[in-house]
Amino acid sequence: MTRLSDSSPIPARAGIGLRLPHQSMVATERPAAAWFEVHPENYMADEAALVELEQVRAHYPLSLHAVGLSLGSAAGVDLAHVARLRALSERLAPGLISDHLSWSMANGQFLPDLLPLPYTGEALAIVCRNVEQVQQALGRRLLIENPSTYLCYAAADMTEAEFLAAVVQRTGCGVLLDINNIYVSARNQRRDAHEVLMHWSQALDRRSVGEMHLAGHAVVATADGAELRIDDHGDRVCADVWSLYEAAIADFGVLPTLLEWDTRLPDFTVLQDEAQRAQHLQDDFTLMARARTGRVDFRNPGHAAHA
Amino acid sequence: MPRTPDIAGLQAAPALWSLATLQSRMATALLAADDAGRELPAALFAGALPGAEGLRVHRNTVLGGLSNALRQTYPAVDRLVGEAFFDRMAVEFSRVHLPRAPQLGSWGKGFADFIDGFPGTGNLPYLRALAQFDARFDELARCVPDERHAGVAVPLHGELNLYFTAGLVVHSSSYPVAALREAILADDALALAAIDLACGEQHFAMWRAAAGVMLQPLGAAAAGYLRALLDGGTSEAALATVLAAGESPEAEVAAQLQQDILQARFVRVATHNNAVMGAGQ
Repeated sequence: MTRLSDSSPIPARAGIGLRLPHQSMVATERPAAAWFEVHPENYMADEAALVELEQVRAHYPLSLHAVGLSLGSAAGVDLAHVARLRALSERLAPGLISDHLSWSMANGQFLPDLLPLPYTGEALAIVCRNVEQVQQALGRRLLIENPSTYLCYAAADMTEAEFLAAVVQRTGCGVLLDINNIYVSARNQRRDAHEVLMHWSQALDRRSVGEMHLAGHAVVATADGAELRIDDHGDRVCADVWSLYEAAIADFGVLPTLLEWDTRLPDFTVLQDEAQRAQHLQDDFTLMARARTGRVDFRNPGHAAHA
Repeated sequence: MPRTPDIAGLQAAPALWSLATLQSRMATALLAADDAGRELPAALFAGALPGAEGLRVHRNTVLGGLSNALRQTYPAVDRLVGEAFFDRMAVEFSRVHLPRAPQLGSWGKGFADFIDGFPGTGNLPYLRALAQFDARFDELARCVPDERHAGVAVPLHGELNLYFTAGLVVHSSSYPVAALREAILADDALALAAIDLACGEQHFAMWRAAAGVMLQPLGAAAAGYLRALLDGGTSEAALATVLAAGESPEAEVAAQLQQDILQARFVRVATHNNAVMGAGQ
């Protein structure tokens, strides 16, 4: 078994969400990818997959993106699950560990979804308590992701961005800003996604954002024919989300950015293609930023960009 | 901090329930089978989408996620009954056997018993046995391949040891589950129709190799002997158990053990100082 003592930092480049159907190929063929991210829950009861993931990890930086910590559970976090995550973290030495601003445990049972929280003072205290407990157990900082939302609670003392900013301020955690989720949530609430992003950039300390996510989503109709966006990670990133990502880079800078694809998983080359598109946007921004500061000669931009 | 007016449309209604109550009631509503049980007070929600619509999205995600987790473990059952019927069975199972932890790969062990006699499956008497076989495959697929036979070691005749592959199991079934599973996963309706369901009890040694889950048919005596060894018995005790069962003459038992076990790929026969005596590999 490979044991990795040092975590490789996740580069500020476009990475790919690694799913089990692609893992054997990645482990043996080592295709081009800046870094990978996996759901740790998929490896907690699958030693064969975990051993193979260690082979991947030996050649790529890795991030663990959890879906089961249930950071918003009023009953608290499941310490046995936190211990399993810690064991994986010690074995894989990931560059980042993240989970969501949501809940999934209630009545002692696990519901496989990212269920929404009311953004109240009571919920804030509970999330902060849980995040602190997890960070203490893991001995490291968590990144917390904004989920896609389909429900808004009438009882809300603050916006989602203000809520997450308060969690960051109280616990020292970081933010995983999911650009597709901002878009899906905004459209489902009939809001302008760019205005919502502007609100996020006003609410958050830029330095707290450690990663971004991009994904495709589905557009369906509700029973009364209204548009509904479902974050199913089952398609290419749509044009509006690419546009929002460009705006997010301008607001928060070039950060590790992950391409997620979970349902109707295509050939790995499609994921590489999507990641390359994100990489181009990052490179373009870096180039323009250098041009503004006089660090690039536009007659030979490619050379300068990689200098 | 300036707040965009559009974003600031917070209603700041008083919370109807504590967070603990909200989560408990929402979980119950998401899993309810009837319309009345699915309802939550409309005053709980605000925003452009009706609360019931948002709950429907979450209900589909929860039940779909559980159904897909079971589908991963029981692929032959899924293929046999079809996606829609499998979802019906999975949703009913999920409502009474929800997972207690997020690693869904180890959840769903009671599914085979649950679907035994499930309404509409009367023409599939082997459904439970097939599900048990699916679960066994899935369990072994999650094990690390052991090419060095690093599992159970059993002393044999004083000078020798039998070294079995780690994770080796004996699986027995009243139906020809291996043939059924192979035909179902291959979508081979002709092969499926030709299988004799009354062929009697079947026994298999199953283990995980680098190439995947391996399967070897065993005679009844060999299965009994191997099962007794894997349960921690000595070779002598295992042999005595098989002979006492009296199902096969001693010479036949000896031949079965030679062919099904000593020459099998899941065993290595070696001296105590580890010199390999042939067999297995």
